[in-house]
Amino acid sequence: ALGCQTTHSNQEVLQSCSLVIFATKPHVLPAVLAEVAPVVTAEHILVSVAAGVSLSVLEELLPPNAQVLRVSPNLPCVVQEGAMVMARGRHARSSETKLLQDLLEACGWCEEVPEAYMDVHTGLSGSGVAFVCVFSEALAEGAIKMGMPSGLAHRIAAQTLLGTAKMLLQEGQHPAQLRTDVCTPAGTTIHGLHALEQGGLRAATMSAVEAATCRAKELSRK
Amino acid sequence: MSVGFIGAGQLACALARGFTAAGILSAHKIMASSPEMDLPTVSALRKMGVNLTRSNKETVRHSDVLFLAVKPHIIPFILDEIGADVQARHIVVSCAAGVTISSVEKAFMALDALADGGVKMGLPRRLAVRLGAQALLGAAKMLLDSEQHPSQLKDNVCSPGGATIHALHFLERGGFRSLLINAVEASCVRTRELQSMADQEKISPAALKKTLLDRVKLESPTVSTLAPFSPGKLLTRSSVPGGKKD
Repeated sequence: ALGCQTTHSNQEVLQSCSLVIFATKPHVLPAVLAEVAPVVTAEHILVSVAAGVSLSVLEELLPPNAQVLRVSPNLPCVVQEGAMVMARGRHARSSETKLLQDLLEACGWCEEVPEAYMDVHTGLSGSGVAFVCVFSEALAEGAIKMGMPSGLAHRIAAQTLLGTAKMLLQEGQHPAQLRTDVCTPAGTTIHGLHALEQGGLRAATMSAVEAATCRAKELSRK
Repeated sequence: MSVGFIGAGQLACALARGFTAAGILSAHKIMASSPEMDLPTVSALRKMGVNLTRSNKETVRHSDVLFLAVKPHIIPFILDEIGADVQARHIVVSCAAGVTISSVEKAFMALDALADGGVKMGLPRRLAVRLGAQALLGAAKMLLDSEQHPSQLKDNVCSPGGATIHALHFLERGGFRSLLINAVEASCVRTRELQSMADQEKISPAALKKTLLDRVKLESPTVSTLAPFSPGKLLTRSSVPGGKKD
C-alpha cells in the first residue's frame, strides 16, 4: 500500500539496496545475517533495530569490514515523533552514519550515542511510551472521578502531555523551571503536586526506568 | 546604643550572644525581660552580663532598639502592655518566630541524620558533623548566589550513574520532598492555630499571657523549653530545661 517492492529473498534485498535495515525479531537475526553474509560488501550500510543484539555480535556474524550500525527506535516513529538513538560499529564511516541519521530524522529525533547508552534508551524511551500511557490514563481517571466524561478526559490528558512536551522541547528549560512557573502560591497546582509527591511518583518513575533498563541489559546478555 | 529584648528565650539569647561576640555592643547595654527567671536561657544571658528584669516596661524605657522576641501569639499582648511606652526614638523589631525557627530546627535534624549516615560508614562523629554542616552551608550559599533553579543545581551535581543520583533515588523513595512540604505546612497551620487561640481570649493582658503560656506548655510539652543555643553543639529537644547534648 505504501508502494514498496516486496520479495521472498533476503539476498535480493542486499543485492538491490545499499542501505539495509534488519527489522526481524532478535532471535531470528543471527540466521538471517548468516544467510545474507555472502552478498555483503564494504559499501553496504547495515542497520539493526534488534533490541539487545550488540554491535560486536553483529560484526561477528558478518564479513570483516562490514559497516554496521544499531538503532534503538521507539513506537512514536509511526507518527514521525520518534525518539531514537544510534550507535556505529567499528567500520561504519562518518558519512554513512550521517546518511542514516538524516534518514531516521524523517521519523522524529535521532542522535548518535555510545553503545552503552542504548539499553538505557530502551528503559527510558522504548518502555517510556508505556509509562506515559499509564500516566495519561491516570490523569484522565482523576478527571473522571471529579465528574468529567471519559472521552473528553482522555483527550485532554493526552493533549496536556503533548503541549507540555512541546514547551519543554521548544524552550529548552529545565522541567523544574516550567513546573515552578506553573505553581502560584497556595494555588491548585501546588496542592496537586503535594499529593503526587506524597504518592511517591518520582521514585516510582525512576524505579521504572531502572527496571526496564536492567531487563534490557539482562536480555542482551542471553 | 542600648538594646532590649522582650522575652529572654532562645532568640534573645542567640542575638545577644551574637551582638556581644561581634563586639557591636557590650552586654551591660542589653536588657531582657521575662516573666519567668527559671529558664536556662535567662541564666545564660545573666552569665553574658545582660541585665534582666521582670518588667517589660523597664526594658522599653532602657532600650533604643527593642526586639520582640516572644512567640507570635504573645505579641499582641506585649504591644497592648507596652504600646503606650514606645516613643518615636524607639526602633521596634518583631521577630515572628514561625517558619524561620522551624526551618533552623529542621536543618539541625537533617544535619544530625546526615552525620549518622557518615558515622555508619565509618567516619568519626565530629568529622561527619563538620562535613555535613559545611556541605549544607556550601549548597545554601551556591543557591543564594545563583540565578539557576535548585533542580538545575542538583542536576549539575548528579553525574550519570554516579553516587549522588543513587542516593537521590533513596531520598525520593522515602518521600523526602513530601515530608518537607508536610513539615512546613504543619508548622504554619499550628502557628495560625495558636494565633487564633490568642485572638479569641477576653481576659486581661497579663493574666492572659500567663494563661496562654501555661496552655501552650500543657498542649505541647516540648515547646518553649529548649536547651540554650550554643554554636558547635547539636541540640535535641527535651521537655526538661537544660536538655541533653547529642
